[in-house]
Amino acid sequence: MAKRRISVLILYAALTGIGGPWLCAMAAAFEPSVNYMLQCMGCHTPDGSGAAGRVPSIRSTLLPFSAVAAGRQFLVQVPGASQSTLSDAELADLLNWMIESLSNEPRAVVFKRFTGAEVASYRGKPLVEVGATRERLLNATGIEETNK
Amino acid sequence: MSWFDALTEGSVRAIARRTSRRSLLASLGSMLMGASVLPLLPIARGAAAAENPGPDGKSTNANDPNACEYWRHCGIDGFLCGCCGGSASTCPPGTEMSAITWVGTCHNPDDGRMYVVSYNDCCGKSACGRCLCNRNERDTPLYIPFQSNDYDWCSASSEANIAYHCSTSRIVGLAK
Repeated sequence: MAKRRISVLILYAALTGIGGPWLCAMAAAFEPSVNYMLQCMGCHTPDGSGAAGRVPSIRSTLLPFSAVAAGRQFLVQVPGASQSTLSDAELADLLNWMIESLSNEPRAVVFKRFTGAEVASYRGKPLVEVGATRERLLNATGIEETNK
Repeated sequence: MSWFDALTEGSVRAIARRTSRRSLLASLGSMLMGASVLPLLPIARGAAAAENPGPDGKSTNANDPNACEYWRHCGIDGFLCGCCGGSASTCPPGTEMSAITWVGTCHNPDDGRMYVVSYNDCCGKSACGRCLCNRNERDTPLYIPFQSNDYDWCSASSEANIAYHCSTSRIVGLAK
């Protein structure tokens, strides 16, 4: 009889939504594509091409930046990435997804993947001169920017 | 008709042998309890809301896209474009949708799923002034700027500093 009472209580909670917030809290972690939508897409636009004159395109820069140490630091330390509410591992997954999904490369992309530990090692150091650092990286990697 | 009497008596006696008066009371009690729980279901609450306009005569129907309570508007901060000549996902004529925007998630009570919603502003005409809605779910204070919806996104549109008119709530994906 006690078992039946408990099952009735569970049914009651399910019907009235008492368990709702608890279940939602359990499902808070999102896939990298959804994290891109929530953390980046508002400014960088759905395909990463940005808005001319205001938000630079990331499509041509993600892959070359990921190939050099200073570029890897930059990708983690830009304020939108380093100050996001994502964990180090989630940010690493998101960066890997962006390089694979938003790069201009016609072929399958081969690159060194980010790990949570690598992200953690860069993330604590603030990036003060975002624009100037990006310019230096563009010059160093020889990228022609299409969307200024 | 005696065969019918015998059949009825037989079946009634069979039921009486199988069940007790207490079981009848128990099932009646379950039905009464179940009926009392029905108004607590989300569907019943949604139907009740449909019948009640708000105190100022505005719709409070959670299924009406022009009502602030509509589920998609859970993170909005602005005038609803549906009240300004557009819709919940399109801009009114004569305005332009901002490319830069704020993105959040909302829970759809009909299918129980979370959706990613993009709150693109419509720009190019003076403020609409109708159906102001400020719900701010998942909004952060300005000192966490990347998740704050308090910005005027029209200032980042193709024409610099053009006027803000109203806001849309566009579904852009499933939050999974």
